[in-house]
Amino acid sequence: MLPYPSGSWMPVALSADLPAGTVMPAQTPVGPIALWRSRSGRAAAFADRCPHRGMRLSRGFVRGEALSCIYHGWSYAQAGNCLRIPAHPGLTPPETIGVATQPVEDSGGIIWISVGEPTARPPRFDGLAPLRSMIVEAGIAALEAAAGTKADGGLLDYAQNAQTLRLLLTPQGKARTLMHVLVDEGTGPAKRIAASRAAETLRRTAEDILRSDVAQ
Amino acid sequence: MKLYDYVLSPSCYKARLMAALTGVKLDIRPVDFHPGAEHRGPELMALNPAGSIPILEDGDLVLTESSAMLVYLAAKAAPQWLGNDTALQAARVQQWLSFSHRLTGSLGAARLHEMLLRPGDIATLHGQGIAALRELEAGLVEQHIRGQRFLASDRPTIADVACFPYVALAPDGGVSLDPYPAIRLWSRAIRSLEGFIEMPGIHRLHELKPEPVLEAGEA
Amino acid sequence: MTRNAMIDEWYPVGLAGRLDTHERQTALMGEPIGVRLGADGNAKVTGSNGRALPVCIRYGHVWSSLGDPQKALFAIPEADQPGRRLVDVGVVRVRCSPLRAVENFLDIAHFPFVHTDILGAEPHTEVPNYKVEIREDEDEVWATQVKFYQPQAAKSAEGGITTEYMYRVPAPTCSILYKTCPPRPGEWDVITLFVQPLAEDLCDVWPWMALFDDETSMADLIHFQQTIFLQDRSILENQIPRLLPLDPGMEIPTRADLTSVAYRRWLKRHGYTYGAQLVAQ
Ligand code: FES
Ligand SMILES: [Fe+2]
Repeated sequence: MLPYPSGSWMPVALSADLPAGTVMPAQTPVGPIALWRSRSGRAAAFADRCPHRGMRLSRGFVRGEALSCIYHGWSYAQAGNCLRIPAHPGLTPPETIGVATQPVEDSGGIIWISVGEPTARPPRFDGLAPLRSMIVEAGIAALEAAAGTKADGGLLDYAQNAQTLRLLLTPQGKARTLMHVLVDEGTGPAKRIAASRAAETLRRTAEDILRSDVAQ
Repeated sequence: MKLYDYVLSPSCYKARLMAALTGVKLDIRPVDFHPGAEHRGPELMALNPAGSIPILEDGDLVLTESSAMLVYLAAKAAPQWLGNDTALQAARVQQWLSFSHRLTGSLGAARLHEMLLRPGDIATLHGQGIAALRELEAGLVEQHIRGQRFLASDRPTIADVACFPYVALAPDGGVSLDPYPAIRLWSRAIRSLEGFIEMPGIHRLHELKPEPVLEAGEA
Repeated sequence: MTRNAMIDEWYPVGLAGRLDTHERQTALMGEPIGVRLGADGNAKVTGSNGRALPVCIRYGHVWSSLGDPQKALFAIPEADQPGRRLVDVGVVRVRCSPLRAVENFLDIAHFPFVHTDILGAEPHTEVPNYKVEIREDEDEVWATQVKFYQPQAAKSAEGGITTEYMYRVPAPTCSILYKTCPPRPGEWDVITLFVQPLAEDLCDVWPWMALFDDETSMADLIHFQQTIFLQDRSILENQIPRLLPLDPGMEIPTRADLTSVAYRRWLKRHGYTYGAQLVAQ
């Protein structure tokens, strides 16, 4: 069963990691995507494959309100339609050329992707602020074992040094998890640095648990 | 100043990049590293018995360690790149300069193996490379929390130039940079610097220039 | 199962000038092979279980085949012209289909974006119409009258010019590029891409050149070509799928891609599908 059934939202990145005018790769249950934000600040999600010659669009570049492919410079509007083919400057690209897009929401400092038409708004985590995201080479069970708590609604609590980290977990296959670390809003720099280090420790522990499980 | 240079070497690129960023003109002497192995030939071995490149020559000064070249170029042309305003900053610069050698031994060796068929235990090199990237990512996250965009301060220093090439070229050696958002932003910040030059495997940020248009009559 | 039509072709397996009595281990289409200098002074190539494979030495490289080549290796008459510098560029491994490596070599539209300020530069992105044909007598793909603006056409070229090219595909994993030669108007520089298929999605690429250029140092010539190819490598390792799709619905060619369209058609016609994907997946 997919952990993200059609119509549900999946947290793929932190808003701060995608400034205006940039593109980044991300993973979804239906394949890799190029996540990008236009100059004016609007986020969009494209299938990570240029229809021309298959180049990954997440390696491309953003000019104004369009994403361009790094290979031959074809550019695409936020709706996915091809705007320009530099090899043929006089040509208006036919409407049939375009990339598949997915619905995106940028809320609470998190970028959410919906697989299929969304049925509701993405969840909100009032009072929490995102700190960083990281990839853990272990599944959610190993992370739960490392934290000593169970995930609830995709959130895992991890108490460490007088603060509790909230970990927003998204499985990426069996033994890989995308982990967004959230802390209480208004947490000062020293505690945020401590939280980042605690998250590193948790990851190391979870990966060690996975390794010793595999070794058995 | 003369640089014995191989265009695909990230260590040589450190010296070229530093010179470009600080406005120093280098006299480039290309070395046939691959396939010719000229760096192991008599002329270059006489200059550098270690048989490595880059080699930077200035009068009777001969430098064979890229970190020393960065210090020399910065101290001569743009001392603010040394990043020694405070004890903390100076220590961070040294920390990352030393760390950069681990990048060479892991990501650099993986790249030589995957691209130019040099011997090596690729699984081990990948493991070490990923460990180093995670350490760099964590360091950059902390710098970001401190309000600083670069490794040792809010300004770029020789530490950034020392770490950037092997990190940016990690995919050449089969190590993905996709899992590291802080490294991605830092790499962009470096590539956006005035005077930045690229090397093969590191693409230009085309978005830094608006889409150029043909002038009337130009073909 | 049909016989792999590419099995009887010649492939580059090493640099002739770097042969050693110590056997170099490599592979051809999934089969481990060894390449060495024999006691008689000739190159020897050995397949798995020790069988001796055919060998020829040409264009700076050792060539071999897993099958039984019916023809001699293709001719490059220009390579024998006196006065040319022959440049062994050396091997570069790429995690991509050997056919994708050749197709990229046939493409000029990427110059402004991938070889920025060297082979192309915005806003000079237009690819004017050119001629493409499959020459039936030679059984080769040819593209001629290919013109493109170049800010720095070669090491010996200063400033921007319009360069003319001809492309030729004489074998499924080899291509030859003829390019106008600034110091010798009327002659063509020869730049080749010889690809050794290690597996369907992995190859060793051996670029080689025969140039009219007496000024530039050999190291400089090698660096220039390695620069160009390494820029391509970062593209080739990021194309999806890794195999070359021969299904026409999978990718979208334009007029600028007519060489690649002809190349794909020619591959299909001959059943040269090692490294290709026939149906969309
Ligand atoms: S592959 Fe994207 S523009 Fe050609
Ligand atoms: Fe190219």
